[in-house]
Amino acid sequence: MWHIVTYILPGVGNTLLLTATSFVVGAVIAIPLTVAGRSAIAPLRALIKAIVELVRSIPVLVWLFIVFFGLPQEGLSPSPLTAAIFTLGGVSAVYLSEIYRGGIAAIDRGQFEASRALGLGRIDTGTRIIGPQVFRVVLPPVATYGIGLLKDSALASTIGVVEITFRANAVTQVTGKGLTSYVVAGVIYVLIGLPLAVVSRHVDSRLRARFSLT
Amino acid sequence: MLGDEAVTRAAEVHLVASHITKQFGAHTVLEDVSIDVTKGEVVSIIGPSGAGKSTFLRCINFLEVPSEGSISLDTLTISVVNGKLQNAGKDLATLRRKVGMVFQSFNLFPHLTALRNVTLPQERVLGRSRHEAEERAMDLLRRVGLESKAQSYPSQCSGGQQQRVAIARALALDPLLMLFDEPTSALDPEVGTEVLAVMRQLAEEGMTMLVVTHEMRFAQNVSDRVLVMVDGRIIEAGEPGLVLTAPQKERTQQFLKAVLRQ
Repeated sequence: MWHIVTYILPGVGNTLLLTATSFVVGAVIAIPLTVAGRSAIAPLRALIKAIVELVRSIPVLVWLFIVFFGLPQEGLSPSPLTAAIFTLGGVSAVYLSEIYRGGIAAIDRGQFEASRALGLGRIDTGTRIIGPQVFRVVLPPVATYGIGLLKDSALASTIGVVEITFRANAVTQVTGKGLTSYVVAGVIYVLIGLPLAVVSRHVDSRLRARFSLT
Repeated sequence: MLGDEAVTRAAEVHLVASHITKQFGAHTVLEDVSIDVTKGEVVSIIGPSGAGKSTFLRCINFLEVPSEGSISLDTLTISVVNGKLQNAGKDLATLRRKVGMVFQSFNLFPHLTALRNVTLPQERVLGRSRHEAEERAMDLLRRVGLESKAQSYPSQCSGGQQQRVAIARALALDPLLMLFDEPTSALDPEVGTEVLAVMRQLAEEGMTMLVVTHEMRFAQNVSDRVLVMVDGRIIEAGEPGLVLTAPQKERTQQFLKAVLRQ
């Protein structure tokens, strides 16, 4: 069994790389997406809404195949890892922007009004008044999404990214010990996910202790 | 000679709100409301709820954009035609900088300490240095009696303390005019007193103030003029002694009777 573990473990690197990069890409791109979705320009809002619905309605696996097997038809040939980061990053951006949107909606109208009444500009209002409060509100759902993304990164094994699930699959082909291999893979996902959950809860409760939003 | 007097009088007029009308769909909330406020004057606006008092106050710094009308403060005029601001952008920013506002629900920024609530706008809006802003903030917090709460977050302050921090926050930008939108309505009467004391002190120091209030004692004792607003119109205006004790309009008498009975 030990050789199965040592075979799968090196996959952790790519799983973490893929998850972390996609998460950061998604979390950052989600910001302009959220801002554009609240724009005063109606066509822009409609466009963002259409993109969100389109991305959410198609399974992540299908998006992954569209990017990895579809783009070469147009002359672009991304590597498996690049295609996976592009896909999971893009999908994350859409889901996270919905979370951000909900977070902004949870902020009291009076906060926007006080900021305007003081003469603070849109950027200052966003980055210094509303942003930090939204951060506090969305931290738990964003952390939950991040842990979900860790699990979704296993989809990348289907296009040949050599991560945990890919290696579990490969070692099963050779040894025939599917139960052991996949349980080991599962345990590794738990061991990565648990600390993430603990850290996010810790940060959340620290912020909560510092200021309450009501 | 007469010309000179007219000039002096005009210079004394600080705020002019002219022909402010506000419609929400088919519903008219404000109907052609005009007022002049002179420098240092304290004006209370009273009236039944739903009369449009708060909406009117919010039209002055364009938190609510009127359907028609114009607001002049000092040398600055912003007009609205058909619900569209004729000169927004820079003029609007300037106006808001010069008008301080205190809300019924305080609206302190919960993620910032009391001190930071007062310093951040100074730094971002007036470009003051952190040091300068802190000095001014501590000076104001001392004046409202909350020096010791500088490092506390709003959630660690009582309602009355939060409202006093909010007053300090608005004053820190050196406004020409302060708007108070029912500043004590969310407070216990006892706690409201400490806020009213700060407001009274401010009035005595010569601040120009426009106050929407249900505090008849404040309206009577502190303000120079009382406006009575009913159904989106100012139906009566004058010295508090006259308006509150010998109102001319029947609607005013009815309102005062109801309020004073409590």
